[in-house]
Amino acid sequence: MMTCFSILTRRTRRVIGGGLLGVCALLWAGGAAWAKAPVVPQPATAAVEAAPAEAAAAPAKPEHKAEAVEKEEGLPQGAPLLIDTRIHGEPIQVNSSMLITWIVAIVLIISAQVATRRMKDVPQGGQNFWEWVVESLYNFLQGIIGPSLVRRTFWFFATIFIFILSLNWFSLIPGVGTIGWGVPNEAGALTHITHPLLRGPNADLNMTLAMAMLFFFFWIVWALQVNGVRGFLMHLFGPKGDTKGFMKLLMVVVFFFVGLLEIVSILFRPVSLSFRLFGNIFAGENTLETMTALGGPWFGWLLPIPFYFLELLVGFVQAMVFMLLTAVFTLLIMPEEGHEHH
Amino acid sequence: MIPILAELTGNLHIGLAALGAALGVGFIGMKASEAVGRNPGAATPILVQAILSTAFAEGIVFFAIYLAR
Repeated sequence: MMTCFSILTRRTRRVIGGGLLGVCALLWAGGAAWAKAPVVPQPATAAVEAAPAEAAAAPAKPEHKAEAVEKEEGLPQGAPLLIDTRIHGEPIQVNSSMLITWIVAIVLIISAQVATRRMKDVPQGGQNFWEWVVESLYNFLQGIIGPSLVRRTFWFFATIFIFILSLNWFSLIPGVGTIGWGVPNEAGALTHITHPLLRGPNADLNMTLAMAMLFFFFWIVWALQVNGVRGFLMHLFGPKGDTKGFMKLLMVVVFFFVGLLEIVSILFRPVSLSFRLFGNIFAGENTLETMTALGGPWFGWLLPIPFYFLELLVGFVQAMVFMLLTAVFTLLIMPEEGHEHH
Repeated sequence: MIPILAELTGNLHIGLAALGAALGVGFIGMKASEAVGRNPGAATPILVQAILSTAFAEGIVFFAIYLAR
């Protein structure tokens, strides 16, 4: 019992402390790199930034103004920049998605460190909570990808799940996305925030793509570690099943083309992983915003409330789906004995 | 009817792909729930299969988005 406990607490400490810190650092680097070269073309942000200048300069052409107003509704696809300066010629850009990512990561790291500072045999409070989270995740993943693989990869999947879930739920707190800068409309009322101080980070394709690319990198590392280069190629292109003679030759050719198809589907995995998370969260944020606008000045607080519960559910399910899909993708590339656990 | 159809513009195929993918995901969920109802012990392998198939069904939409003009 005691050894079990000490292994568990050591694991808790390692996962929450080291793993989260490492992945967060990588994510920031990835996010910063992607923010410098944005993947999403950002016509919405450009229009938003152009709008005040246009309004200040002169009464602009009516068509252009109507277009700009139309684009201002809903969430812009690109996160608005909060800091945009150059230090020694290097562009330093911080946008609202990055800010909320840092806040959530710091909150997670500090809470985990505080909870595991004075470990007790009978856990209480924060330590109890984090041990419950880590232990249930470990048992859940063990049932899906097996005990040997879970020892190797648990730190990544647990981190990604806890991080995505915290980001999704943190961005539902009232004030995120609604506190910021905006341009008043003709009546002088501020109805839409164009530059929110904080914004749901998973409603930004840069963030989800950074996580998906990170998984893709580790997927290749794990696949090569376990299979070796030859085993990896045989897993992709090698014939499966036992056939003999001429049929064997035919199967080699067939499975070579099957391998080519599989490579296409593998290359599409980061795209579909990032788009799934981004699409769900972006649509959710947009739904909340539309419902608030639909309610008008009197019922703007009432209409989004049912959708907040939906978004809580979606945030959990999407974090789960991201973790499960990455885990199952990792399981699929492992040698056959990994599959016997189910 | 024909002129109305001829005037359709935009990326209709993304909508069709999304329709098909939504139907597919729905069927997967239905059958997975049925399977778990029949054999609750096999819930974990069924979950893995369902998640994988859902990913493949959803992937169609992304192919369609990339084929958009």
